[in-house]
Amino acid sequence: MTNALDVVSLRAGYGAINVLWDVSLTAETGKTTVIVGPNGAGKTTLLRAIMGLVPVTAGDIRVNGQSRKGAKTWDTVADGVVMIPEGRMIFPDMSVEDNLMMGAFPRACRAGWKRNKAMVFDFFPRLAERRDQIAGTLSGGEAQMLAIGRGLMEQPRVCLIDEPSLGLAPVVVDEIFRILGQLRADGMTIILVEQNTSRALKIADHVHLMQSGKVVLSERGDAVDLDRLHALYFAHDAA
Amino acid sequence: MIELTLQALFSGLLAGGYYATVAVGLALVFGAMRVINLAHGELVLLAAYIAYAAESRYGINPVMAIPIALVVVASASAIVYALLSRIEHDREINSLILTFGIGIIMTNGILTIWAADIHSTTNPWFQDSLVIADTLFAMNAEVAFFIGGLALMAGVYWWLNHSWQGRAVRALTSNRNAAMLMGVNPRQTEILSFMIAALLATFAGVAIYTGKTVFPSLGHVLTVKAFIITVLAGMGSIHGVLIGAIMIGVIESLTVTYLSASLQELAGMLLFLVVLFVSPSGLFGGRRALAR
Repeated sequence: MTNALDVVSLRAGYGAINVLWDVSLTAETGKTTVIVGPNGAGKTTLLRAIMGLVPVTAGDIRVNGQSRKGAKTWDTVADGVVMIPEGRMIFPDMSVEDNLMMGAFPRACRAGWKRNKAMVFDFFPRLAERRDQIAGTLSGGEAQMLAIGRGLMEQPRVCLIDEPSLGLAPVVVDEIFRILGQLRADGMTIILVEQNTSRALKIADHVHLMQSGKVVLSERGDAVDLDRLHALYFAHDAA
Repeated sequence: MIELTLQALFSGLLAGGYYATVAVGLALVFGAMRVINLAHGELVLLAAYIAYAAESRYGINPVMAIPIALVVVASASAIVYALLSRIEHDREINSLILTFGIGIIMTNGILTIWAADIHSTTNPWFQDSLVIADTLFAMNAEVAFFIGGLALMAGVYWWLNHSWQGRAVRALTSNRNAAMLMGVNPRQTEILSFMIAALLATFAGVAIYTGKTVFPSLGHVLTVKAFIITVLAGMGSIHGVLIGAIMIGVIESLTVTYLSASLQELAGMLLFLVVLFVSPSGLFGGRRALAR
């Protein structure tokens, strides 16, 4: 079976500033792959490069075996590869409901928007209560829920999730990880970038540790020793 | 005295309607692209001259000339867009220089083709007066295009709020990268907003030709007025544009009635400065909300 995602010797960055030096990793279909690493390791840049938001200078990105290098963001989305950015990237001037409707913008998702919206409201009843509220006035946790809900409206086959617990209260983090666990159980292919390693490892089938634009450790989720991971995490940071 | 004031308010309202039709197009393009099209007034003027050419040369009713003018204005808009989309660096400042230049070229093109004379429709129906409730006077053209303009703007407002593509324009305004992550192709959405701006410009141009007079230097006057109204409204708010346009229309009309016609432009500018002084982000500019 082909992998959902293969990243091969990827080099990418923003103009003169290179962020990813030589990143290779894979994500299996139907599994949850977790990418951890300190700030500035290039985790978010990797997701953005997969989505075509950051130019790739060398290497390759393959989704379900097909190269997506140089593909336009909207074409990648149309092929079912969805990125759920952090909660600050909702549409602040639009209502909660209009934000969700934007998730259904890809042509293949339009027909099912009502059913998908009902599903999102089931996942996050808070969003249903606030459906007419302007998204910019939501709390951090609600904004994150909206970002996830909006992503689910896109009917992802491969779902890239960027730091869903960033800056949120523990009780909200619990709720978000409960939903992620449920999506995983439903067999969605998830690639999760997370700083909260202990939480993320609990739902990980596979773990990659990134440091300064490179992958320095790849292990099965159940083989990871948290102490050793943390030691690596900080050792490279100091070096 | 009361009647005079009412008449001034009514005339101002009608003028505001056509200002708004010009300004909504500018605001729409600004919303989708973060670009101020300084040739927008010239596009409006182009539509007016196409209506003039159709009427004077072929005897076509200006209303019937709208489709022809639309084709010409939409083509011109497409050229403006094609040039704009080639800008790779510092799009905000370079687009100002580019569209300002296009405006100058268009003004002089119009001057070369149609000379500097002042034109207006020769069809008497448009300039016949219409009396409402025995007291308020207006020309048929003013009332017809006011109602048509409102309907058109209501259509644009509906489209922005309730259609897939319209929501995509607002999403692009709100957060460009996030919109792309929703599968929005910015170029497609931008060109669509340019075409809708062209439709509004065409309508406004024919409204001016039938209800007022046109001359080659009118283009930049319209651009400036539309720009002021857009800023007054708070960059990108559609209903704000309508209210701002009517405010400008009314204050100009009151100035003409009670002070002097030569102070008309000054009064609008003063209103603009006062509003910006009190609320620097415009009347409805707290958020960059298109159509909210």
